[in-house]
Amino acid sequence: MAMESGSSVNNNNPDEFAVGCFLSIRTTLGDEFEGQVVTFDRATNFLGLLEGSKHGPLRNIRILSADYIKDFTFLGQGHDPLPIDSHLDLHTLQSRELLAIRQAEAEAERIGVGVSSEAQIIFDALSKTLPVHWDKTVIVVMNEVRVSSPYHSECVIGGTPAANDRVKKVLEFERKRLQLRG
Amino acid sequence: MEKETTHKFTIVYKKNTNVVCRFQISSHSIIHSEIHHQQKKLLERKTKNQFAMGYRNKSLVTKDQTISSSSNCESLSDAMLVFTMNIIGLPVDVHVKDGSVFSGIFYTASVDDRFGIVLKQARMTKKGIGHSNVGKEALIDTLVVQSKDLVQVIAKGVTLPGDGDNGKITGEDEEAVTPKVCCSENRSVDAEQVNQSRQAGDNNSKGKADDCRQKFEFHSEKNDEKIQSLDSGHEIITCLGQVKADKANDQGSERSTSPDSTSTHSTLSEDLSEASHNIPAKIIEKSAPRGADCTRNAKEFKLNPAAKIFSPSFVYPISAPSAVPTAANMVYMPNSSPAPNMVYMPNSSPPVHVATLQPEVGFNNFASRPSVPVKVSQYGNLTVGNAGSGSQFSQPIVGQLAHRTQPLQYAAHYTPVLSEPAYLQSNSPAVMAGRSTQLVYVQQVSHDLVHGVTAPFPTRPLLNHVQFPKHQGGAFSQAIPVVMPPSVITSAQQQTFAFQNHIPVLQPGFSPPRPISIPGSNGFYGTKFS
Repeated sequence: MAMESGSSVNNNNPDEFAVGCFLSIRTTLGDEFEGQVVTFDRATNFLGLLEGSKHGPLRNIRILSADYIKDFTFLGQGHDPLPIDSHLDLHTLQSRELLAIRQAEAEAERIGVGVSSEAQIIFDALSKTLPVHWDKTVIVVMNEVRVSSPYHSECVIGGTPAANDRVKKVLEFERKRLQLRG
Repeated sequence: MEKETTHKFTIVYKKNTNVVCRFQISSHSIIHSEIHHQQKKLLERKTKNQFAMGYRNKSLVTKDQTISSSSNCESLSDAMLVFTMNIIGLPVDVHVKDGSVFSGIFYTASVDDRFGIVLKQARMTKKGIGHSNVGKEALIDTLVVQSKDLVQVIAKGVTLPGDGDNGKITGEDEEAVTPKVCCSENRSVDAEQVNQSRQAGDNNSKGKADDCRQKFEFHSEKNDEKIQSLDSGHEIITCLGQVKADKANDQGSERSTSPDSTSTHSTLSEDLSEASHNIPAKIIEKSAPRGADCTRNAKEFKLNPAAKIFSPSFVYPISAPSAVPTAANMVYMPNSSPAPNMVYMPNSSPPVHVATLQPEVGFNNFASRPSVPVKVSQYGNLTVGNAGSGSQFSQPIVGQLAHRTQPLQYAAHYTPVLSEPAYLQSNSPAVMAGRSTQLVYVQQVSHDLVHGVTAPFPTRPLLNHVQFPKHQGGAFSQAIPVVMPPSVITSAQQQTFAFQNHIPVLQPGFSPPRPISIPGSNGFYGTKFS
């Protein structure tokens, strides 16, 4: 909305405004960064910024509400960083999204809810050698052996004797390693 | 211009101080809800309308331009939409107005009502000053951040489509290429399904190997069927091919995990070429419909994610020569690059690569093939010069393979061409002559090639392929290894129609392997020829 009043200043080509500019921006929340204006959307008052080196392949994309710009400095004018023939493949995006979500879910499963950080460390250590997952606060190893709090070798329950012994061994070994490290 | 810009911003800023205050007064509301399918659909619909047709110059060039732009005029601008689309599926940090920061996967944006966003698997990484309905520790499956709460979205480590070579694609090509891209994407998804816990980067190689193997087996079975129907006599060869294919797959699954092992690839390509080689050859000999080749190629492409490159042009040249020019431009780059975003390779650079690669491929096929001898002999009869080179080819090949890092696909693609001896004969005389001279003059070679192409023969591609090996033979001037590569390159560039057809296929061959292979082949041949 604010931009609409602003656009009256430059009616002939509102789209051209600021695109390609390098700005140093401070937000009302205290963030400070430099970026190149890729686009500005008047309807939503959001600013699309590109950060990072000009030649590096990886950039940071920042979509910032212009409402929260506290201050900015004009650093220079550049070209429109968005390629003229820009093409996005929806399938690529969708599969990327799917992958990312799956990965995030898999990682989320590895984090115990309501467990101590030590428990999580033990879990992570065990997961390097054995298949483990959380059952609430109990670490389930190989789907049969359960290790409950406080996750000492005495707490290893269930499973075949061989599996049980193996888990105990690994647990002791990992605890020893953690102590050495800690 | 700059002054005006500044002015505008100032206005915004002044206005915004008020806005911010008002926001602070209003209650903080971050809603945790189920997926907003409607929002998602809306965005997708809009994108499909616009981006399927290409986005140019911040406005749509398509016929629907007026419609779409007018209907969306009050929502997000096109540029903003593209920009936003770039971060879909990427991990982002979202700052909201009370200072809280959420990290999650950017799922979608709601563009009809200002700019709301939806995150998946979000987690609060920084607690803000306000009271929110979202705790810090819990993982939020779907988090909707409304426009009024949103301060900024930050996506780190993004590769924009315009950056580097891979992102660009011309408007004409995009339609044809897109389906291929889908294939590749599906493949990667499959791989992920096989092993969900793997990281995207790691599982690409491993998952692909598995996937590849399954599909290839399936593929070879299919080929087997085809061949049987065509001619029972070829069954034996087919079986052999299958066995080798399996072997190749085994190697592939084992070794593809380590991208560094270049030698592995070479052996792979050899085996695979043998395997797949026989089948297509038979089909062609039997004058099977070209359509079968098309499907086969598509499958192979899926099979071999790591090594294979897809070239739509290869298919087209045979079935529909007219389509070739456009097809030649389109090149598909396999997934090897870490960034999933980059799918397309612009055509500009490939020509050179193609030229270098082709010769090698041709040689490979010849050498590796068990059935080759027969064909070679045919070859030889037709042209004296050829016969000599042909026999030599087979020997050198082994050496070449060791040096080579060629991906499997080449062999597969080439096979059909190589297997057609009959065609070669008719064309060969002219080609042969050209060949001998070609060694020195690249340009002449290209002319000859063109000749063959213009000829009414249906098997133009064959000619080209045959010639390539010749090129190498000609190129062998071992004394000047340096000279050789340039000559080849020039020839490739000059070549008109015929080469282009092949180019797409060849292009898949990646540049990295080339430098090694060329010197190796040259030296090799030089010794042989001398």
